Amino acid sequence: MSAAAIEVAGVSAGYGNGAIALSDVSFKATEGQAVAVLGPNGGGKTTLFRALLGELPTATGSITVSGTPAYVPQTERSRLDFPVSALDVALMGAYARTSWYRRIAGRDRALARGALERVGLADSAGTRFGSLSGGQRQRVLIARALVQDAGVLLLDEPFAGVDRTSEDAIMGILDELRAEGRVLLIATHDVEQARGWDRVLCLAGKQIAYGPPATTLTNAVLEGTYGEEIVMLDCGHRAVAIQHHAHTH
Amino acid sequence: MRWLTDPLALPFMQRALLATLLLAVAAGLLGTWIVLRRLAFFAHAAGTATFPGLVVAGPWGLAPPLAALGAGLGFAGLLARMTRRGATSADAATGLLLTAALALGAILASDVYSSGAGVDRLLFGTLLGLGEGDVALAAAAAVAAVAATAALGRTWLATGFDPAGAAALGVRAARGDWLLLALLAVTVVAVLPAVGALLVSTLLVVPAATARLLTQSLGALLAAAVTLAALEGVGGLLLAYHLDLPPGPAIAVLGGGGFALAAVSCTVRGAR
Amino acid sequence: MEILRSGLLQRALLEVLILGATCGALGVWLLHVRSTYAAESLAHAMLPGLVIAALVGAPLLLGAAGGVLVAAGLIALAARDTRVGAEVAVGVVVTTAFGLGAVLALAPDVPARLGELLFGDLLGTSTADLAAAAGLGLLVAFALGAGHRSLTTAVFDPVAAPSLGVQPGRVQLALLALLGVAVVAAVQGLGNLLVLALIVAPASAGIRLGATLRGQIAAAATLGALAGLLGLVASAELDIAAGASVALAAIALHVVAVLLRPAAPRTPGERRSPVDALSP
Repeated sequence: MSAAAIEVAGVSAGYGNGAIALSDVSFKATEGQAVAVLGPNGGGKTTLFRALLGELPTATGSITVSGTPAYVPQTERSRLDFPVSALDVALMGAYARTSWYRRIAGRDRALARGALERVGLADSAGTRFGSLSGGQRQRVLIARALVQDAGVLLLDEPFAGVDRTSEDAIMGILDELRAEGRVLLIATHDVEQARGWDRVLCLAGKQIAYGPPATTLTNAVLEGTYGEEIVMLDCGHRAVAIQHHAHTH
Repeated sequence: MRWLTDPLALPFMQRALLATLLLAVAAGLLGTWIVLRRLAFFAHAAGTATFPGLVVAGPWGLAPPLAALGAGLGFAGLLARMTRRGATSADAATGLLLTAALALGAILASDVYSSGAGVDRLLFGTLLGLGEGDVALAAAAAVAAVAATAALGRTWLATGFDPAGAAALGVRAARGDWLLLALLAVTVVAVLPAVGALLVSTLLVVPAATARLLTQSLGALLAAAVTLAALEGVGGLLLAYHLDLPPGPAIAVLGGGGFALAAVSCTVRGAR
Repeated sequence: MEILRSGLLQRALLEVLILGATCGALGVWLLHVRSTYAAESLAHAMLPGLVIAALVGAPLLLGAAGGVLVAAGLIALAARDTRVGAEVAVGVVVTTAFGLGAVLALAPDVPARLGELLFGDLLGTSTADLAAAAGLGLLVAFALGAGHRSLTTAVFDPVAAPSLGVQPGRVQLALLALLGVAVVAAVQGLGNLLVLALIVAPASAGIRLGATLRGQIAAAATLGALAGLLGLVASAELDIAAGASVALAAIALHVVAVLLRPAAPRTPGERRSPVDALSP
C-alpha cells in the first residue's frame, strides 16, 4: 500500500439551496491513522463524507485525498430483498475498474473471495445478502471496500446494530487496515470507543475540535459538540452520548 | 351566456349538474385525504377494477353501482391478501390486479356479452345516463364524506403525519384507515357513472392535487379541493354537452389545465 | 398446432414471444425499483400520441414514441414538485393525458378505433410491426445486458453507488427510457391498457421463482414468452380478444408461481396501518 493521506483545509459544504451544512473543517490524517468522526445527527458527518467522496461541491477550501475513497454505508440503507449474494456484493468493489463489455477479471474474483475470507465470511459467499445478520452484512460491505482497494475508507457507523462476534471481527479488520497504512474515517456515536482511535474529529455544523483523543475529548469539547442536551451516562466503563431529540410534532 | 344557460334548461343536464356538484363535495374532501395519504395509485386502480363489474351488470340484471362495488371490493380484498404476506409489493400487486380487471372486462365486453359501443360509456362516463339513483348515491357519498371528515379528520391527519406514532395509538388509527378505504370505495362507485372507470382520478385526485399546490393549511385545502372539483366538473359538463363528448375526458382535460396553471403560477411566485 | 398454419397467427405469435421475453426481463428491474406505477402511467399517458397517429394515418409506432416522450417529460416535470409528491403528480399527468386522448378519439367524425388502441390488435401485426418489435426488443435486451452491473449496484445500494463508480440517477433514467422503448414496442399488440400485464405479471412471478438475479430475469423472460404463447392459443381456441387473453395468461402464470412458491411470512414486528400498506 502506497502512503495514503487525506488533507482537508478550510472546507465548507452544503446542499443545493446555498445553505451551508458544515463549515470550517480542517484536518489532516496520514498513513495508518484511524479518525473517529463524532457529532450529533445533522452535525455534518454525512455532509463531510459526501464532500470527501466528491458528491458534494465544496463552497470553500480544498480537499486532497489519495485516490478515490471507498465508502462503507450503514447496512440498513441497502436493499435487503434484492437477490444478490455476499460474493456478488463484494464483487461490486471491482465494478469501477471493469469495462461494461468485459467479464469481471479472474484476479478480481479471487480478490473478492479473499476479502470475504478476511472478514470471516468465506463460507457465506453464496448466501443471499438480505438473509445475513446485521453484523455479517456490515462485514460484507467492508469486504466490498477491500476489493475497491482504496487508500482511504469512510465508514458510516460500522458498529451500529452489530452483534459481538461481528464487532470483534470488524475491529480486527480495521486494525489490519491501519497496519497496512490505510486511512480510516469512522463516523460514530460512541464516545468511549472513539477514545480507542488515533484521532477524533468533532463536528456540530462546524469543526469543534480535532486531535488525539486524550487531549481532545474534554468535557468542554463534548458540550460544544452535543450542546447542552448531552447527558453523560456512566454505565460500567462505557460513557455514551445520549441526545434528547426535540419533539416537534 | 346562452352557452351556459341553454344546456341547463334540459332536465338531464340539470340532473347531471346536481350530481356533479354533489360529487364535487365527496370527491374534493376525500381527494384531499387521498393526496395526503398517497393513495392516488390505489384510487385509480380501484376505479379501473370496477370495469368488469360494470360490464356484467347489464347482462346479469344487477344494479351497476352494486356490481361496481362488488368488483371494487373484490379488488381491494385481493390486494390486501396479496400484500399481507409481504412477498408482493403493494404497487406490483396493484398493477397486476388492475390489468387483470381490464383484460377480464375487455373479454367480457367484446366476446361474451358483445357490449359494443357501451364500453366507451363505462370507461369514460356519460351525461345522458345519469339517473335519479346516481344522484341519490352522489348525495349519500357527499354526506358521508362531510361527516367522516368532521369526525375522523384529526385521526387521518395524525396517521398520515406520523404512521409510527399513530400505530402506537393502536386500534383507532387502524379503524380510521379502514373507514377511509370504505369511504373511498363508496365515492369511487359514486363518481363512476359521471366520469367512467378509467378516469375516477379526474375528480378524486386532480382537484385535490391542484389545491395542494395553492394552499398549505388543511381547512383551505379541503375547501379549495371541493371548489376546484365543482368548477372543473361543471365546466367539463358544459364542454361535453357542446362538443358531444363523454364528460370524463372533458373534466380530465380541464383538470389537467388547472393543475398546469397552478404549477406555473407557483413557480412564478416562487421565483420572485 | 392447427393455428400456426395461418400467416396472421404466425406473425402474432412471433410478436408476442418477443414482447413477452423483453417485457419480462425488463419488468424484473422495474419491480425491484418499485416502478410499477411509472410503467402503468407511461403506457396510459401516451394515448393522445396514439390517437393522433391513428387520426392522421401515421404508423402507431411513431405516435406511441411521441406520446411516450411527451408523457415522460410531463411526468418528470410534475414530479419535481415536492408538495404533491411523485405519485400524485404521476396520477395527474396520466389522467389528463388519458382524458385528452379520449377527447380526441371520441370527438365525432373520427374513425372509432379507440378500442383497438386501448386493448390492442395483436392479430393485425404486420411484418413491419414485427420487425420493429424485434429491433426494439433486441435494443432493450442488449441494454439490460450491458448495464447489468450498473443496474445491480444502483438498485442494491444507491447510497454507496457513486463511490463504486455508478450514478444511480442516471441508471434510473436509463431504466425509464428502456421502459418507454418496451411500451412503444408492445402497444400495437396489447394496447395501452394491457401492456402493463406483460411487464408486471411475468416479472413478479420470476422474482418469486428465481433465487439469483439472473435466475429471476431468465424465469421472467421465459414466463413472458410462455404467456404470449398460451394467451394466443387460448384466444384462437376460445375465440376471444387476443391482447386481453395474453394479459390474462400472464396473470394466470403469476398465480401458478405464487401457488408453487408461497411467500415467506413477513418479519414479525413490522405492522403498518391499512392505508400505508397500500401506498407505495
